[in-house]
Amino acid sequence: MMKENNMTMETSPEKALQSVKEETGSPDQRSRSEKEVRQEIRFIKKETMTCAKYLRRMEELDGMPGALQPFLDTLRAVYVELKNPLEKYHQKTVGTYCVMAPQELVYAAGAIPVRLCSGNYTAFSIGDDLYPRDACPLVKAVAGFQKMGLMPVYRDCSLMAVPVTCDCKKKIVEMLEQTHDVFPLSVPAGREDEDIDRYVEELYRFIDTLEALTGNRVTWDLLAAGMNMTGQAKYELSRFLKLKKSMPYLMWGTHILAVMNAAAYMRADAWSFHMNRLNRELEKRIEKGEKVTSRNRPRIMLTGSPIIYPNMKIPLLIEEMGGIVAADETCMGERGMSDPPVVVDESFDGILRALANQVIRPCSCPTFVNNKERVYRILQMIKDYQIQGVIYHVLRGCLVYDYEYLFIEEELGKRGIPVIRMESDYNEEDVEQLRIRTEAFIELIRLKQAA
Amino acid sequence: MNKRRTRIVTGMICLIIVVLAYFAERFPFYVYEEEELHTSLRQFFSVEHLVRLQPFLIVIAMAALSIRICIWIRGFLLPRDQGDRKAANGKSVKLRKGKRPLFMTVRWIFMIAFSTMVMFGGIWCGFILAGIDFPVLACPTNRDQLIESSCYFLSHLPVLFEEYSPTGIVLFFVSTIGFALLLGRTICGFLCPMGLIQDIMHVIRQKTRTEGISMTQSLYRRLTSIKWIMVLLMFGLVFAGGEFCSFCPAIVTSPVLAGMKVSIYLSGFMMVIVLVGSFFKRRFWCNICPLGYLIGLTHRISPFRVKKDTISCTECGACYEACPMGIKMIYTERERTDVTDINCIMCGECVRSCPEDNALALAFAGKKYYTASRAGLMSGFECDPDPEEEREAE
Repeated sequence: MMKENNMTMETSPEKALQSVKEETGSPDQRSRSEKEVRQEIRFIKKETMTCAKYLRRMEELDGMPGALQPFLDTLRAVYVELKNPLEKYHQKTVGTYCVMAPQELVYAAGAIPVRLCSGNYTAFSIGDDLYPRDACPLVKAVAGFQKMGLMPVYRDCSLMAVPVTCDCKKKIVEMLEQTHDVFPLSVPAGREDEDIDRYVEELYRFIDTLEALTGNRVTWDLLAAGMNMTGQAKYELSRFLKLKKSMPYLMWGTHILAVMNAAAYMRADAWSFHMNRLNRELEKRIEKGEKVTSRNRPRIMLTGSPIIYPNMKIPLLIEEMGGIVAADETCMGERGMSDPPVVVDESFDGILRALANQVIRPCSCPTFVNNKERVYRILQMIKDYQIQGVIYHVLRGCLVYDYEYLFIEEELGKRGIPVIRMESDYNEEDVEQLRIRTEAFIELIRLKQAA
Repeated sequence: MNKRRTRIVTGMICLIIVVLAYFAERFPFYVYEEEELHTSLRQFFSVEHLVRLQPFLIVIAMAALSIRICIWIRGFLLPRDQGDRKAANGKSVKLRKGKRPLFMTVRWIFMIAFSTMVMFGGIWCGFILAGIDFPVLACPTNRDQLIESSCYFLSHLPVLFEEYSPTGIVLFFVSTIGFALLLGRTICGFLCPMGLIQDIMHVIRQKTRTEGISMTQSLYRRLTSIKWIMVLLMFGLVFAGGEFCSFCPAIVTSPVLAGMKVSIYLSGFMMVIVLVGSFFKRRFWCNICPLGYLIGLTHRISPFRVKKDTISCTECGACYEACPMGIKMIYTERERTDVTDINCIMCGECVRSCPEDNALALAFAGKKYYTASRAGLMSGFECDPDPEEEREAE
């Protein structure tokens, strides 16, 4: 496995670039200056190498379930082989950003949603020059991919649906408009009844846009089929979470994050199919009493800004330094898919209302005004997964999450749960510093454990 | 501005209700020359019974027509047109959802059985538990009920004190208040025939996938003010010289279905409104029912409770969306573990729709008998992986 990876690392950049070039054989691209071509080769080389490195580090964690491979393969296809794994379906793809863009509607319209929030270091370094210094790295990474135009998943999107949530997401709309059709999906900042009504109207507008894109009329049946598709995925996830609650050392948290990240680039039915396999494998593990670690590792929960592949340095550090990520409360992780829409009214409007309700009300994204419910969610997870310490991840420039740190630290402090704030950026310069802090935090929990 | 307008509209509606209720007997819906408050089991299976059902059938026909007209008018008023969205795309898809929980089956059995017994029990079983009054909205004009409904005497208090012996009065209050204390508004969710009729209308809407009214708290507040007017009318109309029974919609159900010849005045039109209202808004009448409000007053001591785990709740609002009574507090509450509300009819819809394990539960005297579970909510997705495996293989 390792050897194979190294091989791809060495040979793939040029090859990948070549294949990308062949596909986009437009005249202006052929007449690129030599400098630009060199820059592109450098970009792809760096990008693929970093991504392959993180994949390798994930695969090196022992006790990886065999059923995990398809998820890692998807990530590899997107970031290392520079392919579009959704190409085989011959459907239009719609790029979405936050969890607030309902995937069900995209499926109902006959397209495939792909979540484009990025954690790429190489793209970040390019976006860093384009965007203000304090913009969040996620948006800078998206801008970097946009600028280079080399990533098939980004390039192939027929439409980008950008929920208007935090300031940075607001501003990427204009940037994306330069190359793509963009639908800005207004998300209310409150959660009152009127906000839900407004959001339902917004969903109708979204449906109209999707209909214009695919040419399909979204009928009740298609909407129901879309709901069933994502519902199945959510069901498999709920099964998985139940298994994990019964045994905290069932699987590495990094692997779980990889699974959840892979969901961004997989069609929901394919994801639930592989998830079903994974669940069955894990059930067997539980029967046999297998764990990924024999030691009593400190169980740590990750919360805060999203952890997006390949920016897996923090979960990897935690698990390499002797802890385990037993739960995560991040929007690219479990939280993004764990709340099922509860349809209580089976009319078309009723289903949309259920969707709107599911998107707005349980979402613990700090862009909402009054987000106290997040603390309770974290407390419940601490109970469910027997968490001993919380690592609060803040991406540099992600103000909304940073704001909530104080409140959450206070609430958890009252209950005697250690919390640490870890700020990081999309580069590897801060790894050593993070390593020291992670190590110290894990030692602290160990000391508490021993006492 | 908008708020003020809705207030004015609500005030007008209240005023109209009061005026209409006072002159209820001026609006004949279906009047018999001579009333006949007698039925027999034999008559039940005859053509004559069908003839006697006429008022009820007319109400249903009018309601059906009104619903069609409402949908037609809404087509013009709403900017978005959903008529063609309902159309099937050749293949019929079933929206997957949780299997019907045992609790709901039991509730439906209770509702149907009790409604049947309260309407026809006397005729069928041949015995009547006279003197025991149950606070449900089934018309007490039907004297062949297994047990009596207390709403007649509640709306005719002078009659109660004039005609009954002290023992009768005591028995009336003891049984009415006793049941209200013991069962609380579980009566509304499990026993009341009006509740059953409204739930049937809701099921019809679900089956026809018709869009309903999306309720907001401000709309519920308007309904509350109408409810106060209803309570006022129920107690006060008799003192002002009016007749509440000519206004109350329940008279169209129990006596008419039992095959009695009862003259119906404004009640018939009220019943049409109730049917149309409950079609578009689940349990519409329960939101303005005066008797329901009175039973609800016992919500602090009634042994039936709604319990909440305040930590596991994610405030997803599914319970609020499902709640036919629009109780918002159930998902915003973070302090108290007891979320029994004066409006709660114990129908269990909130527990059914709750996705978090143990976050909500119905309890009787501290013992939980229906608890929320995600597995239950998502049980409809359990499936055989085999057909998918085949698909994957190709």
